[in-house]
Amino acid sequence: MTHELLNGLSSAEVEQVLRLGTRLIVPTGTSLFRLGDQADRLFLIERGRIKLTLPMQVRGREEDIFVEERSPGQTVGWSALIPPYRFTLTATAPLLEAEVVALPREALRHYFAANPAAGHKVALNLAVVIGHRLQLFQTMWLREMQRTVEVRSA
Amino acid sequence: MDMLLIGLCLGAAGVVFVALAFGAAIRSESWNSDVRPELPLVKAAAPSRFFSERLPIPPAPLQVPIEVLLLQIENHVRLEQAAAESFIAFPTQALLHSKTTSPFVN
Repeated sequence: MTHELLNGLSSAEVEQVLRLGTRLIVPTGTSLFRLGDQADRLFLIERGRIKLTLPMQVRGREEDIFVEERSPGQTVGWSALIPPYRFTLTATAPLLEAEVVALPREALRHYFAANPAAGHKVALNLAVVIGHRLQLFQTMWLREMQRTVEVRSA
Repeated sequence: MDMLLIGLCLGAAGVVFVALAFGAAIRSESWNSDVRPELPLVKAAAPSRFFSERLPIPPAPLQVPIEVLLLQIENHVRLEQAAAESFIAFPTQALLHSKTTSPFVN
């Protein structure tokens, strides 16, 4: 299993980082984290899928609306590395149970302080993950705006 | 006999006179008064229809069940993400504004 966050690290470094974490099973339909929770761990997905949602009012009811789905090798919960360290989405295992590696922020900080080269690579990988998410949602936002403009101009 | 007939005629004439005088007195009193009795407002009745009394009811907009709606939203987001991924992989104006097939907005 190759993790997007650990791209470019040697196999020894990957082993060292993974040993910082704890393997967790997320049963079907249960939350890994919820919007607003304190974010002190980020998660590397090993198995299954993690669905990310945001609450929305639909016909007077609050519903969790699909935002995106992450698969094995991808990362969820990078709010753990970015102030104010609160999750901005809710993450659940939708259909099948999922397995993740939970990496505590403090343990990662200590490891990166001791291994700056590995820390630099992980920081760049994180920038790619966040940058891609930003580009994706920027594009989706513009497409929705375009539709709104077309409806209003009609 | 003549006297009786004359008496009856005079009596009848007297009764008619008194009745007219009484009626005239009452009428003049009621018209001179400033207070007019309030008449109840009568709403105009809807014109009756020949075949049906009921107006046609406009059809209510069809509402899909909420579970279906949520699935439509999820499907829409997935399609939009796929479209956005295509744009990011090869950014052109045409891909940015490519039309969606999502039934949620069509």
